[in-house]
Amino acid sequence: MDSQTKQDKQVIDIKARLSANKVVHSGESDDESLWIIEAKQGSQTAFYQLYEKYHRRIYALCWRMLADKDSAEDVCQEVFVVLWQKINNFRGESKFSTWLYSVATNVVLGHLRKHKNWLQRVFSIEEQGANVAEPHVGLTDDSMLTMLDQHIACLPERARLVFVLFAVEGYRHEEIAAMLKMAVGSSKSQYHRAKSLLKESLIANGFVSIEEEINHE
Amino acid sequence: MSKDIPQEAVTSKSAGLAKVVSDKSLAVLVEKLPNEMIPERDLWPGIERAIGQKSQESQVGQQRNTFVPGAWAASIALVVLLSWFTFSPDIKDNSGAALVNAQGDSGITQGQLVNFMQQSFKQQKQTLLASYGQPTTDKLPVAMQQELKQLADARASIKKALLTDENNVDLLNLLDFTQQQELKLLQQLYRQYQVI
Repeated sequence: MDSQTKQDKQVIDIKARLSANKVVHSGESDDESLWIIEAKQGSQTAFYQLYEKYHRRIYALCWRMLADKDSAEDVCQEVFVVLWQKINNFRGESKFSTWLYSVATNVVLGHLRKHKNWLQRVFSIEEQGANVAEPHVGLTDDSMLTMLDQHIACLPERARLVFVLFAVEGYRHEEIAAMLKMAVGSSKSQYHRAKSLLKESLIANGFVSIEEEINHE
Repeated sequence: MSKDIPQEAVTSKSAGLAKVVSDKSLAVLVEKLPNEMIPERDLWPGIERAIGQKSQESQVGQQRNTFVPGAWAASIALVVLLSWFTFSPDIKDNSGAALVNAQGDSGITQGQLVNFMQQSFKQQKQTLLASYGQPTTDKLPVAMQQELKQLADARASIKKALLTDENNVDLLNLLDFTQQQELKLLQQLYRQYQVI
Protein backbone atom coordinates (compact mmCIF):
# COMPACT_ATOMS: atom_id res chain seq x y z
CA MET A 1 0.00 0.00 0.00
CA ASP A 2 1.58 3.32 -1.05
CA SER A 3 1.65 6.30 1.31
CA GLN A 4 -1.11 8.21 -0.53
CA THR A 5 -3.51 5.27 -0.33
CA LYS A 6 -2.61 4.80 3.32
CA GLN A 7 -3.31 8.49 4.02
CA ASP A 8 -6.62 8.35 2.16
CA LYS A 9 -7.61 5.30 4.18
CA GLN A 10 -6.72 7.14 7.40
CA VAL A 11 -8.94 10.05 6.40
CA ILE A 12 -11.82 7.71 5.59
CA ASP A 13 -11.32 6.00 8.95
CA ILE A 14 -11.38 9.32 10.77
CA LYS A 15 -14.52 10.40 8.91
CA ALA A 16 -16.19 7.12 9.80
CA ARG A 17 -15.19 7.52 13.44
CA LEU A 18 -16.48 11.07 13.51
CA SER A 19 -19.86 10.14 12.12
CA ALA A 20 -20.13 7.07 14.33
CA ASN A 21 -19.00 8.54 17.61
CA LYS A 22 -19.76 12.21 17.02
CA VAL A 23 -16.23 13.11 18.06
CA VAL A 24 -16.75 16.79 17.51
CA HIS A 25 -15.13 19.36 19.74
CA SER A 26 -17.55 21.82 21.26
CA GLY A 27 -18.66 24.45 18.80
CA GLU A 28 -16.68 23.11 15.87
CA SER A 29 -17.88 21.78 12.57
CA ASP A 30 -17.19 18.17 11.54
CA ASP A 31 -14.81 19.50 8.91
CA GLU A 32 -12.85 21.53 11.41
CA SER A 33 -12.55 18.62 13.82
CA LEU A 34 -11.30 16.48 10.98
CA TRP A 35 -8.74 19.11 9.96
CA ILE A 36 -7.53 19.31 13.55
CA ILE A 37 -7.11 15.54 13.81
CA GLU A 38 -5.35 15.34 10.46
CA ALA A 39 -3.12 18.33 11.25
CA LYS A 40 -2.15 16.62 14.49
CA GLN A 41 -1.08 13.65 12.37
CA GLY A 42 1.11 15.94 10.27
CA SER A 43 -1.15 16.74 7.32
CA GLN A 44 -0.18 20.11 5.88
CA THR A 45 -3.28 20.04 3.67
CA ALA A 46 -5.54 19.90 6.71
CA PHE A 47 -3.45 22.55 8.42
CA TYR A 48 -3.89 24.78 5.37
CA GLN A 49 -7.66 24.48 5.79
CA LEU A 50 -7.34 25.71 9.36
CA TYR A 51 -5.11 28.54 8.16
CA GLU A 52 -7.59 29.44 5.46
CA LYS A 53 -10.40 29.58 8.01
CA TYR A 54 -8.65 31.56 10.72
CA HIS A 55 -5.79 33.61 9.29
CA ARG A 56 -7.85 36.73 8.63
CA ARG A 57 -9.14 36.79 12.21
CA ILE A 58 -5.68 36.17 13.60
CA TYR A 59 -4.28 38.89 11.34
CA ALA A 60 -6.90 41.32 12.65
CA LEU A 61 -5.90 40.50 16.22
CA CYS A 62 -2.21 40.93 15.37
CA TRP A 63 -2.85 44.19 13.55
CA ARG A 64 -4.87 45.68 16.38
CA MET A 65 -2.35 44.68 19.03
CA LEU A 66 0.74 45.68 17.07
CA ALA A 67 -0.65 48.65 15.11
CA ASP A 68 1.73 47.91 12.27
CA LYS A 69 0.94 46.12 9.04
CA ASP A 70 4.34 44.52 8.40
CA SER A 71 4.77 43.33 11.99
CA ALA A 72 1.21 42.02 11.99
CA GLU A 73 1.88 39.96 8.85
CA ASP A 74 5.12 38.56 10.25
CA VAL A 75 3.58 37.74 13.62
CA CYS A 76 0.51 36.20 11.99
CA GLN A 77 2.86 33.82 10.17
CA GLU A 78 4.65 33.11 13.44
CA VAL A 79 1.30 32.30 15.09
CA PHE A 80 0.59 29.59 12.52
CA VAL A 81 4.10 28.15 12.78
CA VAL A 82 3.66 27.96 16.57
CA LEU A 83 0.20 26.47 16.03
CA TRP A 84 1.73 23.73 13.87
CA GLN A 85 4.19 22.93 16.65
CA LYS A 86 1.62 23.04 19.44
CA ILE A 87 -1.48 21.65 17.82
CA ASN A 88 -1.01 18.35 19.64
CA ASN A 89 -1.49 20.26 22.91
CA PHE A 90 -5.07 21.06 21.92
CA ARG A 91 -7.19 18.59 23.86
CA GLY A 92 -10.59 19.84 22.78
CA GLU A 93 -11.50 21.11 26.26
CA SER A 94 -12.39 24.51 24.82
CA LYS A 95 -13.34 25.74 21.39
CA PHE A 96 -10.47 25.52 18.94
CA SER A 97 -10.88 29.20 18.06
CA THR A 98 -10.63 30.21 21.73
CA TRP A 99 -7.49 28.13 22.15
CA LEU A 100 -6.03 29.51 18.91
CA TYR A 101 -6.67 33.13 20.01
CA SER A 102 -4.89 32.50 23.28
CA VAL A 103 -1.92 31.05 21.36
CA ALA A 104 -1.99 34.07 19.04
CA THR A 105 -2.21 36.55 21.92
CA ASN A 106 0.80 34.95 23.60
CA VAL A 107 2.81 35.03 20.39
CA VAL A 108 2.00 38.73 19.88
CA LEU A 109 2.92 39.60 23.46
CA GLY A 110 6.13 37.57 23.12
CA HIS A 111 6.94 39.50 19.96
CA LEU A 112 6.36 42.81 21.72
CA ARG A 113 8.60 41.79 24.62
CA LYS A 114 11.34 40.69 22.24
CA HIS A 115 11.24 43.89 20.25
CA LYS A 116 11.11 46.31 23.13
CA ASN A 117 14.10 48.56 22.67
CA TRP A 118 16.71 48.89 25.38
CA LEU A 119 15.49 52.36 26.41
CA GLN A 120 12.02 50.96 27.05
CA ARG A 121 13.49 48.05 28.99
CA VAL A 122 15.76 50.18 31.17
CA PHE A 123 13.37 53.01 31.89
CA SER A 124 10.04 51.17 31.49
CA ILE A 125 9.04 53.63 28.80
CA GLU A 126 5.96 52.54 26.92
CA GLU A 127 4.47 55.73 25.60
CA GLN A 128 5.33 55.45 21.95
CA GLY A 129 2.90 55.89 19.16
CA ALA A 130 0.53 57.93 21.30
CA ASN A 131 -0.33 61.21 19.70
CA VAL A 132 -3.48 62.36 21.32
CA ALA A 133 -2.63 66.02 21.23
CA GLU A 134 -2.29 65.88 17.46
CA PRO A 135 -4.38 62.87 16.52
CA HIS A 136 -3.88 63.27 12.76
CA VAL A 137 -0.13 62.88 13.05
CA GLY A 138 -0.06 59.26 14.10
CA LEU A 139 -2.98 58.05 12.06
CA THR A 140 -2.30 55.40 9.49
CA ASP A 141 -3.24 56.02 5.87
CA ASP A 142 -4.66 52.55 5.39
CA SER A 143 -8.05 53.21 3.87
CA MET A 144 -9.10 49.61 4.40
CA LEU A 145 -9.19 50.15 8.16
CA THR A 146 -12.26 51.35 9.98
CA MET A 147 -12.08 54.75 11.58
CA LEU A 148 -11.93 53.24 15.08
CA ASP A 149 -9.10 50.89 14.10
CA GLN A 150 -7.12 53.87 12.90
CA HIS A 151 -7.64 55.59 16.24
CA ILE A 152 -6.85 52.44 18.23
CA ALA A 153 -3.55 52.25 16.35
CA CYS A 154 -2.60 55.66 17.74
CA LEU A 155 -3.07 54.68 21.39
CA PRO A 156 -0.05 54.16 23.65
CA GLU A 157 1.03 50.52 23.63
CA ARG A 158 -0.29 49.40 27.02
CA ALA A 159 -3.58 51.24 26.69
CA ARG A 160 -3.99 49.80 23.20
CA LEU A 161 -3.28 46.25 24.30
CA VAL A 162 -5.68 46.45 27.23
CA PHE A 163 -8.39 48.03 25.09
CA VAL A 164 -8.07 45.44 22.32
CA LEU A 165 -7.96 42.51 24.72
CA PHE A 166 -10.83 43.74 26.89
CA ALA A 167 -13.21 45.57 24.57
CA VAL A 168 -12.55 43.76 21.31
CA GLU A 169 -11.42 40.26 22.27
CA GLY A 170 -13.51 39.95 25.41
CA TYR A 171 -10.82 38.94 27.93
CA ARG A 172 -11.39 39.73 31.61
CA HIS A 173 -9.16 42.25 33.41
CA GLU A 174 -7.77 39.43 35.57
CA GLU A 175 -6.70 37.53 32.46
CA ILE A 176 -5.25 40.64 30.85
CA ALA A 177 -3.34 41.51 34.03
CA ALA A 178 -1.80 38.04 34.05
CA MET A 179 -0.92 38.21 30.36
CA LEU A 180 0.60 41.68 30.53
CA LYS A 181 2.19 41.08 33.94
CA MET A 182 0.46 44.04 35.57
CA ALA A 183 -1.98 44.57 38.45
CA VAL A 184 -5.67 44.14 37.77
CA GLY A 185 -6.16 47.78 38.81
CA SER A 186 -3.59 48.86 36.23
CA SER A 187 -5.44 46.97 33.54
CA LYS A 188 -8.66 48.74 34.48
CA SER A 189 -7.04 52.16 34.60
CA GLN A 190 -5.31 51.56 31.25
CA TYR A 191 -8.69 50.65 29.80
CA HIS A 192 -10.30 53.86 31.05
CA ARG A 193 -7.34 55.80 29.78
CA ALA A 194 -7.68 54.17 26.36
CA LYS A 195 -11.38 55.03 26.24
CA SER A 196 -10.74 58.67 27.14
CA LEU A 197 -7.96 58.98 24.60
CA LEU A 198 -10.10 57.37 21.92
CA LYS A 199 -13.00 59.69 22.61
CA GLU A 200 -10.77 62.75 22.50
CA SER A 201 -9.18 61.51 19.33
CA LEU A 202 -12.54 60.80 17.71
CA ILE A 203 -13.83 64.25 18.58
CA ALA A 204 -10.67 65.91 17.34
CA ASN A 205 -11.11 64.08 14.05
CA GLY A 206 -14.71 65.18 13.57
CA PHE A 207 -16.52 62.05 14.69
CA VAL A 208 -20.23 62.71 15.08
CA SER A 209 -21.83 60.38 17.56
CA ILE A 210 -25.31 58.95 17.39
CA GLU A 211 -26.40 61.07 20.36
CA GLU A 212 -25.09 64.18 18.71
CA GLU A 213 -27.00 63.45 15.54
CA ILE A 214 -30.14 62.83 17.62
CA ASN A 215 -29.58 66.07 19.55
CA HIS A 216 -29.22 67.98 16.30
CA GLU A 217 -32.50 66.63 15.06
CA MET B 1 -17.56 39.95 21.35
CA SER B 2 -17.17 43.28 23.15
CA LYS B 3 -17.90 44.10 26.73
CA ASP B 4 -20.44 46.63 27.94
CA ILE B 5 -18.78 49.96 28.22
CA PRO B 6 -20.03 52.03 31.20
CA GLN B 7 -21.79 55.27 30.40
CA GLU B 8 -19.35 58.14 30.39
CA ALA B 9 -18.95 60.90 27.93
CA VAL B 10 -16.14 63.13 26.79
CA THR B 11 -17.26 66.50 25.54
CA SER B 12 -15.41 69.00 23.47
CA LYS B 13 -16.31 72.53 22.41
CA SER B 14 -15.53 72.92 18.78
CA ALA B 15 -16.72 75.87 16.73
CA GLY B 16 -19.30 76.61 19.38
CA LEU B 17 -20.85 73.17 19.08
CA ALA B 18 -20.62 70.76 22.01
CA LYS B 19 -19.53 67.39 20.71
CA VAL B 20 -20.09 64.30 22.79
CA VAL B 21 -18.68 60.80 22.48
CA SER B 22 -20.39 58.60 24.99
CA ASP B 23 -19.36 55.10 26.04
CA LYS B 24 -22.38 53.86 24.16
CA SER B 25 -21.18 55.42 20.90
CA LEU B 26 -17.77 53.90 21.48
CA ALA B 27 -19.33 50.51 22.22
CA VAL B 28 -21.28 50.75 18.97
CA LEU B 29 -18.09 51.48 17.08
CA VAL B 30 -16.36 48.54 18.76
CA GLU B 31 -19.25 46.26 17.81
CA LYS B 32 -18.87 47.38 14.22
CA LEU B 33 -15.19 46.49 14.10
CA PRO B 34 -14.66 43.76 11.52
CA ASN B 35 -13.66 40.35 12.87
CA GLU B 36 -11.37 39.81 9.95
CA MET B 37 -8.73 41.76 8.08
CA ILE B 38 -6.99 40.67 4.91
CA PRO B 39 -3.22 40.77 4.92
CA GLU B 40 -1.68 42.39 1.86
CA ARG B 41 0.75 39.59 1.10
CA ASP B 42 0.14 35.87 0.88
CA LEU B 43 1.30 34.54 4.23
CA TRP B 44 0.94 30.83 3.48
CA PRO B 45 4.15 30.21 1.45
CA GLY B 46 6.26 31.48 4.36
CA ILE B 47 4.33 29.36 6.85
CA GLU B 48 4.57 26.30 4.61
CA ARG B 49 8.33 26.75 4.30
CA ALA B 50 8.75 27.20 8.04
CA ILE B 51 6.65 24.21 9.04
CA GLY B 52 8.40 22.09 6.40
CA GLN B 53 11.73 23.00 7.97
CA LYS B 54 10.42 22.34 11.48
CA SER B 55 9.16 18.91 10.41
CA GLN B 56 12.54 18.06 8.91
CA GLU B 57 14.32 19.32 12.04
CA SER B 58 12.13 17.21 14.29
CA GLN B 59 12.78 14.14 12.10
CA VAL B 60 16.52 14.77 12.26
CA GLY B 61 16.15 15.33 16.00
CA GLN B 62 14.44 11.96 16.38
CA GLN B 63 17.14 10.27 14.31
CA ARG B 64 19.74 11.99 16.45
CA ASN B 65 18.02 10.83 19.60
CA THR B 66 18.24 7.22 18.45
CA PHE B 67 21.78 7.70 17.21
CA VAL B 68 23.13 9.41 20.34
CA PRO B 69 23.32 6.34 22.65
CA GLY B 70 25.07 4.36 19.91
CA ALA B 71 27.47 7.21 19.27
CA TRP B 72 28.24 7.49 22.98
CA ALA B 73 28.90 3.75 23.25
CA ALA B 74 31.13 3.82 20.17
CA SER B 75 33.02 6.88 21.48
CA ILE B 76 33.62 5.22 24.85
CA ALA B 77 34.80 2.04 23.12
CA LEU B 78 37.09 4.14 20.94
CA VAL B 79 38.55 5.98 23.95
CA VAL B 80 39.16 2.68 25.74
CA LEU B 81 40.88 1.27 22.66
CA LEU B 82 42.91 4.44 22.21
CA SER B 83 44.06 4.37 25.86
CA TRP B 84 44.93 0.73 25.57
CA PHE B 85 46.79 1.38 22.36
CA THR B 86 48.65 4.39 23.79
CA PHE B 87 49.67 3.02 27.17
CA SER B 88 50.23 -0.65 26.45
CA PRO B 89 53.91 -1.16 25.40
CA ASP B 90 53.24 -4.70 24.18
CA ILE B 91 51.02 -3.72 21.34
CA LYS B 92 52.75 -0.53 20.22
CA ASP B 93 54.55 -2.18 17.33
CA ASN B 94 51.47 -4.00 16.16
CA SER B 95 48.79 -1.48 17.12
CA GLY B 96 46.72 -1.58 13.95
CA ALA B 97 46.46 -5.35 13.94
CA ALA B 98 45.45 -5.32 17.59
CA LEU B 99 42.71 -2.81 16.79
CA VAL B 100 41.53 -4.87 13.87
CA ASN B 101 41.30 -7.92 16.11
CA ALA B 102 39.57 -5.95 18.84
CA GLN B 103 37.01 -4.43 16.46
CA GLY B 104 34.67 -7.38 16.61
CA ASP B 105 34.42 -7.18 20.40
CA SER B 106 34.14 -3.40 20.75
CA GLY B 107 31.09 -2.80 18.55
CA ILE B 108 32.60 0.18 16.76
CA THR B 109 32.00 0.54 13.03
CA GLN B 110 34.54 -0.10 10.35
CA GLY B 111 34.43 3.54 9.25
CA GLN B 112 35.30 4.71 12.75
CA LEU B 113 38.13 2.19 12.94
CA VAL B 114 39.54 3.26 9.56
CA ASN B 115 39.49 6.90 10.62
CA PHE B 116 41.15 6.03 13.87
CA MET B 117 43.83 4.00 12.08
CA GLN B 118 44.46 6.90 9.71
CA GLN B 119 44.80 9.37 12.56
CA SER B 120 47.01 7.01 14.48
CA PHE B 121 49.21 6.50 11.44
CA LYS B 122 49.50 10.25 10.84
CA GLN B 123 50.49 10.79 14.46
CA GLN B 124 53.12 8.05 14.35
CA LYS B 125 54.51 9.38 11.08
CA GLN B 126 54.56 12.92 12.44
CA THR B 127 56.31 11.78 15.61
CA LEU B 128 58.85 9.85 13.56
CA LEU B 129 59.55 12.80 11.27
CA ALA B 130 59.70 15.19 14.22
CA SER B 131 62.28 12.98 15.92
CA TYR B 132 64.41 13.31 12.76
CA GLY B 133 64.04 17.10 12.75
CA GLN B 134 61.15 17.39 10.27
CA PRO B 135 63.11 16.31 7.18
CA THR B 136 61.79 16.47 3.63
CA THR B 137 61.78 13.52 1.23
CA ASP B 138 62.91 15.67 -1.71
CA LYS B 139 66.54 14.73 -1.16
CA LEU B 140 65.88 10.98 -1.34
CA PRO B 141 66.79 8.99 -4.45
CA VAL B 142 63.97 9.05 -6.99
CA ALA B 143 63.38 5.29 -6.66
CA MET B 144 62.81 5.66 -2.91
CA GLN B 145 60.51 8.61 -3.44
CA GLN B 146 58.51 6.52 -5.91
CA GLU B 147 58.33 3.63 -3.45
CA LEU B 148 57.00 5.94 -0.75
CA LYS B 149 54.48 7.37 -3.20
CA GLN B 150 53.34 3.88 -4.19
CA LEU B 151 52.77 2.99 -0.56
CA ALA B 152 50.80 6.20 0.00
CA ASP B 153 48.71 5.50 -3.12
CA ALA B 154 48.09 1.93 -1.98
CA ARG B 155 46.98 3.24 1.43
CA ALA B 156 44.54 5.65 -0.23
CA SER B 157 43.15 2.91 -2.49
CA ILE B 158 42.62 0.53 0.43
CA LYS B 159 40.86 3.26 2.40
CA LYS B 160 38.61 3.95 -0.58
CA ALA B 161 37.83 0.26 -0.94
CA LEU B 162 37.02 0.01 2.77
CA LEU B 163 34.39 2.73 2.41
CA THR B 164 32.40 0.57 0.01
CA ASP B 165 33.23 -2.83 1.48
CA GLU B 166 31.84 -3.15 5.01
CA ASN B 167 33.32 -5.62 7.50
CA ASN B 168 36.25 -6.63 5.33
CA VAL B 169 38.85 -7.67 7.89
CA ASP B 170 41.40 -8.59 5.22
CA LEU B 171 41.31 -5.07 3.81
CA LEU B 172 41.66 -3.62 7.30
CA ASN B 173 44.69 -5.81 7.90
CA LEU B 174 46.10 -4.77 4.53
CA LEU B 175 45.66 -1.10 5.45
CA ASP B 176 47.42 -1.69 8.72
CA PHE B 177 50.22 -3.60 6.96
CA THR B 178 50.68 -0.80 4.39
CA GLN B 179 50.85 1.85 7.10
CA GLN B 180 53.42 -0.11 9.07
CA GLN B 181 55.48 -0.69 5.92
CA GLU B 182 55.48 3.02 5.17
CA LEU B 183 56.68 3.80 8.68
CA LYS B 184 59.37 1.13 8.55
CA LEU B 185 60.55 2.36 5.16
CA LEU B 186 60.81 5.93 6.43
CA GLN B 187 62.80 4.71 9.42
CA GLN B 188 65.16 2.64 7.26
CA LEU B 189 65.62 5.45 4.77
CA TYR B 190 66.63 7.83 7.51
CA ARG B 191 69.11 5.36 8.94
CA GLN B 192 70.56 4.50 5.53
CA TYR B 193 70.76 7.83 3.89
CA GLN B 194 70.67 10.31 6.81
CA VAL B 195 69.52 12.86 4.28
CA ILE B 196 65.81 13.18 4.51
